[in-house]
Amino acid sequence: MHRHDVVVVGAGLAGQRAALAAVEAGRDVAIVSKLHPLRSHSGAAQGGINAAVGAEDSVDTHIYDTVKGSDYLGDQDAIEFFCREAGPTVVEMEHFGTIFSRGSDGNLARRPFGGQGFPRTIYAADRTGLALLQALYERLGTESFTLYEEWDLTRIVVQDRRVQGIVAFDRRHGDFAGIAAKSVVVATGPAGRIYGRTTNAHSCTGDGIAAAYHAGAQLKDMEFVQFHPTALLESGILITEGARGEGGILKNVGGERFMSRYAPHVLDLASRDVVSRAIWTEVKEGRGFPGGYVHLELMHLGRERIESRLQEICDFCRNFAGVDPVTEPIPIMPGQHYMMGGIGTNIRGETNIAGLFAAGEAACVSIHGANRLGGNSLLETLVFGKQAGNAAAAYSDRAAPTDISEEVVEGESRAVHAMTDRKEGEEPQHLRTEMQATMDELVGIYRQPQELLEAQRRIGALKLRFASVRVVDRSSVYNINLTDALETGHMIDLAEVIVAGAIARTESRGAHARVDFPKRDDANWMKHTLARFTPDGPELSYAPVAFTRWEPKERVY
Amino acid sequence: MEAEFVKAPIEVYRYDPGTDRAPRYDRFELELAPHTPVLTALLKIRSDLDPSLTMRYSCRSSICGSCAMVINSKSRLACQTPVGPELERHGRIVIDPMRNMPVLRDLVVEMGGFWGNYRKLEPHLVENPDRPLPEGKTSSMSPEEVDRFKETPRCIACGACYSACPAVEHDAEFPGPMSLAKLYRFVVDPRDGAHRERLLKIQTGGLWLCMRCHLCTEACPKDVRPSERIRDLKEMAIRLQGATEHGSKHAIGFKDNIREKGVLNEFKLVRQTYNSLEMLAQVPQGLKIRRKKPELTQTPKAIEGLAEVEKLYQILDDEPGDSP
Amino acid sequence: MKLAYYPGCVAQESGKELDLATRWVCRALGIELVDFPNFSCCGSGFIDEANSILNVAMNARNLAIAERAGLELLTVCSTCQGMLTLANRRLEEPAVKAKVDSALTQIGVQYRGTTPVRHLLQVLTETVGAEAIRKRVRRPLTGLKVGAFYGCHLLRPAAEMRSESAEDPHSFEDLISALGATPVMYRGRVMCCGFPILFVKEATANRIAGHQIEDAKAHGAHAMATPCPLCHISLDSFQNQAAKSVGQELDMPIFHLPQLVGLALGATPEELGLPRHLVSTDSALQRIGQVAVPT
Repeated sequence: MHRHDVVVVGAGLAGQRAALAAVEAGRDVAIVSKLHPLRSHSGAAQGGINAAVGAEDSVDTHIYDTVKGSDYLGDQDAIEFFCREAGPTVVEMEHFGTIFSRGSDGNLARRPFGGQGFPRTIYAADRTGLALLQALYERLGTESFTLYEEWDLTRIVVQDRRVQGIVAFDRRHGDFAGIAAKSVVVATGPAGRIYGRTTNAHSCTGDGIAAAYHAGAQLKDMEFVQFHPTALLESGILITEGARGEGGILKNVGGERFMSRYAPHVLDLASRDVVSRAIWTEVKEGRGFPGGYVHLELMHLGRERIESRLQEICDFCRNFAGVDPVTEPIPIMPGQHYMMGGIGTNIRGETNIAGLFAAGEAACVSIHGANRLGGNSLLETLVFGKQAGNAAAAYSDRAAPTDISEEVVEGESRAVHAMTDRKEGEEPQHLRTEMQATMDELVGIYRQPQELLEAQRRIGALKLRFASVRVVDRSSVYNINLTDALETGHMIDLAEVIVAGAIARTESRGAHARVDFPKRDDANWMKHTLARFTPDGPELSYAPVAFTRWEPKERVY
Repeated sequence: MEAEFVKAPIEVYRYDPGTDRAPRYDRFELELAPHTPVLTALLKIRSDLDPSLTMRYSCRSSICGSCAMVINSKSRLACQTPVGPELERHGRIVIDPMRNMPVLRDLVVEMGGFWGNYRKLEPHLVENPDRPLPEGKTSSMSPEEVDRFKETPRCIACGACYSACPAVEHDAEFPGPMSLAKLYRFVVDPRDGAHRERLLKIQTGGLWLCMRCHLCTEACPKDVRPSERIRDLKEMAIRLQGATEHGSKHAIGFKDNIREKGVLNEFKLVRQTYNSLEMLAQVPQGLKIRRKKPELTQTPKAIEGLAEVEKLYQILDDEPGDSP
Repeated sequence: MKLAYYPGCVAQESGKELDLATRWVCRALGIELVDFPNFSCCGSGFIDEANSILNVAMNARNLAIAERAGLELLTVCSTCQGMLTLANRRLEEPAVKAKVDSALTQIGVQYRGTTPVRHLLQVLTETVGAEAIRKRVRRPLTGLKVGAFYGCHLLRPAAEMRSESAEDPHSFEDLISALGATPVMYRGRVMCCGFPILFVKEATANRIAGHQIEDAKAHGAHAMATPCPLCHISLDSFQNQAAKSVGQELDMPIFHLPQLVGLALGATPEELGLPRHLVSTDSALQRIGQVAVPT
């Protein structure tokens, strides 16, 4: 058995930042990740990181924009803390070596992003996540910690409401091991692959969220799923909001700049939920292009601007859609992009389980409420990764040693191997495809009660079928078919929570748009959804939203 | 947006060291639209035909660097390689694991050596005492300084260059194109205080083993152009330190050699690179060659217009200034 | 056709046979070569490493010489081809151009950038054409399996060289077929010969050369041919060392590109300087009936 003070699961920005904080606090730290740290999905973040550092901007405006963007479901105390940390966080990352884009004055360049009053999104061309990930990885590399690279998490072990550590297996040999830890930080990112049409990487399967849920952690606001307005048709690859920040515009089949009807003031740079619904409506009402999509036009920006500021986008369009954005419009449709919900935490990354912490997209503090603003997620990973790392380090300092028994490890190994030993049964990839189709079709941008109930029925059936899933590949070496199965199981559990929350919430708020309840209902629903695991499905309860200075208003862009 | 489907024969390297005696190729026939990425084809094989096909992949948008492999003998990202042009050129798609790294299983290779070579070069910012990071503020960087990074920030460490590199293949001392491109990124970073140490260390750390074959530049899916950055490192190392070992001695020796006649004095070049003991070791081979090619030890005639060449040396080499 | 002939250093010195063969072939095909005694070395990639701007300026001067005469430049060396072409490309950058121009002005030279640089392989396959050459063949190289070895700089970096596919070139194989021989396809044909590090770490350079020859041999090649005299040094002059480093006899005749063409067009081995090779070409010549099989 392995033993550490702090085990961080996930090696993206939140995980690495948590690990760095815990190492700097002098703790024995391990990172467990199914991907090499530089392969993490944080690296795919394109547009930028928000910080109100411009002379004309203010932290208060950033707070206000975030509160409004969240459709008043974000906790205002958390948002205030978050926005105040933005400046120092960007400075720290710049000092770690991040290669940001700069203006001719030598200072960091900023671009406008959706739903925000000022250009406050600091960026590194259109690969801001990659730039931050590289710098943080390089900085963390100067410290001493243990990396369990390409290990799959199967369980977070909790005893008497206190974390004991995790069980995971080394993909290279298939060996299971207990990794005892006084503190466990879950930073495994989102579960976007619950949907078929998603901007997320194949690895975004919510492993840590599901493991925490099974271990008794409460999941918060899971029904709030953000659809990014501009995902490349077919592949679903993200086209950054920065493309519209640079001046890109959306057009329907009639060549109309249709956003003028939905958000007359800020047009294409309205909040993401607003733009996604607008595109959806255009296509639904017959104003999309044949096959069902709209155009994002950049051509008017000129070759030089497009190729220098949106370099990766150019490559994506040329390589993955056969379209040259310098001369042609880009075919786009909204795609699942971000989960506002996650493991419920407070501002320090603490969950309802002693010794269990969470940060990044796997967590829900909540600062994004019902809808996240572009440029706030990279910031969140760093601000709350550090918070969780510090809290985990402090907790491990005062906690008694923990242990994971051999029986627990063997139990996990047996349960997993039951899947490879089975002679008959459905293969995980087929269950996954069905789940994705269900979520795409029935739990999308607009939600109807009958469809949600149908989704609930289908996901419930998938859960039963998953109990006898069969992994065909029996090799002990790098068995990713087994990983497929584990991930699919995780996602089915989380899909169930998303659907349950969406059925219960009879209002429309932010990214959750109920056709039968088109209005926000502050009297009844100004509250966070909490979901707790029971063998019979999620048990929902609700918690109040924290308010400080901003009274709910109608959201108009 | 509609595309016709084409027959795509795909042959994939398969090997599980735990159970297989030897590697084999499995052949799959798919019907695919020509713009389908190879990664999508492989995922289709995994979901419909053989779930045991093992590989790394994640983002499918050429940013995570997971799916580098050898496709029709070229190291590249599977997600960024459409099947159409491959089928047109080769009639089929043959997929192998990356080279220069041991195979763990099928298309998954052990990348420990690759990461180790990278870490060895200490890829992290070392504070520059002459230009300390401003307390509580971001540092400033002129547009010229930003330009010097070239395309190195785009590197996703996928390993395609490492797989394509003959120097990596044949000499364990060579750290590989990606590591050197990363090193370059620090050497030109005005915030970094270890430029000198980095260059001094790499002069004897394998820098001169790059053969400038540019296979890395061709393999790189992000246009980082590692071979050009390695060239830049060589020139910077020479400017800093002059001739220290065979590589830089040879480059400087060559440059000085041409100054004399305008063309190469082959025999003299050998003397400019090697010390007397090393010269002695070259004698038998030299004699063998000279027997057939007597010109080897003859001094060539100077070119006409040698004075013009001399003048260029005076202007650009004696007083070089900054290289653009 | 009239071309400014840029032989490069090696073809004028220890690789004289390349110059002999080039002149013979061009004469046979009616290509007029104009000599310029004031061409300097291309820098061979080494000056570029020591002082890149000097390297560009030297080649700008070479290019300007041909430009003044209104002629395209003909190279017979992959490395010369690469260096001269790279100079043309780098001079498209305004900062480089300004710096080089100011030096050139002081020696009274003007570079306008109108001189295409073409390698003999390109002239033979693109301008003369493989089919036209096929018609001129007097002694087809039937039965001879030849592995083409391109030499890096003829192809790469592709963005600068802008010639045929750097990944899957075929011009050399087309030419080999036109001569009546059979081209051999092998991975090493577009790889490095090791020459650039022959003076840095000879053992590694030899191993690389040995590896490429082995590869060609394993694919059935009776001989190899190269458009680069530096590759020829690695593959021929140092083949004995290369063989030692890979632990097997190689005995691989290595032809310069125009030697192979010359043989098919009817030149004698002596006219092409074949006796100057370190590795005897007799085994290849026997296959095409050029020398008697020893009894």
